Amino acid sequence: MDLKLDSVSVRFGALEALRAVTATFAAGTHTVICGRAGCGKTTLLKALAGLVHPDEGHVRWGDTDVAALDRWARREAQGAFGMVFQTDALFDSMTVRGNVMLPLLKRGVPEDEATARCDEALKRVGLTAAAEKRPEHLSGGMRKRTGIARAIIAKPEVLFADDPFAGLDPDTERSIAELLLEVSEGRTLISALPDPYEPLSLGQTLVMSEGRFQ
Amino acid sequence: MTLALTLPLRVLGAASLSAARATGALALVLGRTLWHLPRLDLKETGRALVLFGYRSLPLTLGIAVLTGMTVVFQAGVYAEKFGARLYAGWAGAYAVLWEFGPILLGQLMAARIGARNAAELALLKVNGQIEGLRGISLDPFGLLVAPRVVASALAVSCLASITFLIAIVVEAVAAYFTLDLPPRVFLEAVSHMIRPTDFLAGLIKATAFGVAISIVSTACGLSASGGARGVGRAAAQAVVASAAAIFSLDFVLTAPLARWLS
Amino acid sequence: MNVLITLGAPFVLLYRTAAAVRRTGLALKECAVQFVELGTRSSWLVGGGLAFLGAVMVNIAWAQARKYTGNIVVVGPAYFELMIREFCPLTAAILCASRAGAGTSAELAAMSVNEQVEALELSAADPHAELVAPRLVASALAVPLLTVVGIVTASLSAYATVRFVYAADGLAFIDPRFVDLGDVSCCFLKSILCGLFIPLAASRRGLMAKGGAHAVGGAVTDGVVDAAMGCLLIDFTVTAAFFLVGI
Repeated sequence: MDLKLDSVSVRFGALEALRAVTATFAAGTHTVICGRAGCGKTTLLKALAGLVHPDEGHVRWGDTDVAALDRWARREAQGAFGMVFQTDALFDSMTVRGNVMLPLLKRGVPEDEATARCDEALKRVGLTAAAEKRPEHLSGGMRKRTGIARAIIAKPEVLFADDPFAGLDPDTERSIAELLLEVSEGRTLISALPDPYEPLSLGQTLVMSEGRFQ
Repeated sequence: MTLALTLPLRVLGAASLSAARATGALALVLGRTLWHLPRLDLKETGRALVLFGYRSLPLTLGIAVLTGMTVVFQAGVYAEKFGARLYAGWAGAYAVLWEFGPILLGQLMAARIGARNAAELALLKVNGQIEGLRGISLDPFGLLVAPRVVASALAVSCLASITFLIAIVVEAVAAYFTLDLPPRVFLEAVSHMIRPTDFLAGLIKATAFGVAISIVSTACGLSASGGARGVGRAAAQAVVASAAAIFSLDFVLTAPLARWLS
Repeated sequence: MNVLITLGAPFVLLYRTAAAVRRTGLALKECAVQFVELGTRSSWLVGGGLAFLGAVMVNIAWAQARKYTGNIVVVGPAYFELMIREFCPLTAAILCASRAGAGTSAELAAMSVNEQVEALELSAADPHAELVAPRLVASALAVPLLTVVGIVTASLSAYATVRFVYAADGLAFIDPRFVDLGDVSCCFLKSILCGLFIPLAASRRGLMAKGGAHAVGGAVTDGVVDAAMGCLLIDFTVTAAFFLVGI
């Protein structure tokens, strides 16, 4: 399904984070949104994922207006989305396995099936050996991999990556980029990055500044 | 077996170590603040006074009104039970000046001033700005800490006077409506039975709480580490430690104050 | 206007949390974890604080009683009734607002700022059911219990102060002659309502936090102030209601 923004505006108090943004992300395409810090990339991604509510305009996932749904229906729709967060957003109170399995357990997948799928996902991101570690004991690259595993485990149709290379060295950056490309095969991938990055954009690169596309 | 034997010792050791560390930290903050008092940065002190004092006025008003009304309702029960309506003025004012006013104001200011102060310092610490100040040979205590301690003490004592006055006026009004006691009678009872020293006692308590809040919260803020979580932990710790300090100080101060002022 | 939002928003949060729990169920284990956390960490503060308060109040009551009535034993039972009706529940609630309010708003604010709340949402978990509900249940149970702990320590210290400092009959100050069902229900009503309000006010400020570490500090300040002011207001409302009804 296509993901569309229809003149979406988001305001935080006096700050206009998004100003009447319109865009279409076709199913299966890869898009890079780039721009300087504070230009509204993160807000755009979160508005698309239904985490931030537009003050005006509509976010359409296929034919449904995500922002107009009540929170239970929205959570249902959000099952199609996975996000790799800028801060990783891992829970230090759980192991890597616990973090990755969370989306399955909360969707009512039985524990043994969830464990099997978790092992598969961890293998895919190369973290099998670190499954029982706590996120606080991992390197930046490994934390990112954990975040990616959690984002893809529920088999989402759209994968969002918010500044996935922040704070990583060039080697790790390359390996994370390869991993992102690999896991997003057949999925819509929308990444937010400070600078244009060719490998992740098969299709469109959109440049943002001050809450709108240039 | 050995574990069972050494565990109490270990717990005791850890507790006394952390107590010693906390005492040391507090003493350091207090000492360095006093050292910087003669050369106080007036501009920074003024800024802190506005932030701590002026901006807390609406909150103080709320505390004064609620405390005053609650005390009258509660005193009213006994005034009717013992047929001592005339004593309501004395009881109400006395409760607010000696205990209710300073403690409640102190608790709220522990959050308003203490948590804010600790969070700001923790943020500077976590972002490495405190080290940065040292790097350009500026003492963070002179610039950040001493002005806040002075401003906090001044702000809390001013806010306390305002609280006391408003609370007593509110009590007079509330007594009129609940006990049918004319405000003139109420205020006469206050002026006959409450001496200026009672007012002074409340003021001294509140000022001591103000100093304690700023010193405790500074120590909490400066020991913060580790991002957003660390800032939150420092702010929360400042509130709790200030609350503990206020109740301990109240306990220590009341009896000597009562003896000294009578 | 701001005051109305501050007082009303926790009720909206209560409604949303209740709706979420009805749908997803309550994580009883997490409630127990929060209860133990809150109970063990706050009991020292509440027990110690009220022990000091008991000693101070008896000090003041003693000095005044000697000046105006001359008869200490008359004051004792009234003092004890006031402790149960007013001072203990209010002080215990304010101390819980400091301890639990600060902890909750700091923790939830750090989670909001670190995008963990959003990660929960995308994991099909409801932040209200997962984060707010256990703290709400734990606090509604723990605050009344902590109030009882406070009453016990305050009474013991009052007794000890009169007995050992003034060498008089300390039992007069823990004489439950005046304490009736009205006083006890006034005490528990206050502490249950405060126990409900504190986590709601603190969670609201925590979940609202946006931005960086700066927002976390602000959330703690506002969370504790809201929680403590709410307790003062609840205390006044219950006191006034009981007075007007004449219980």
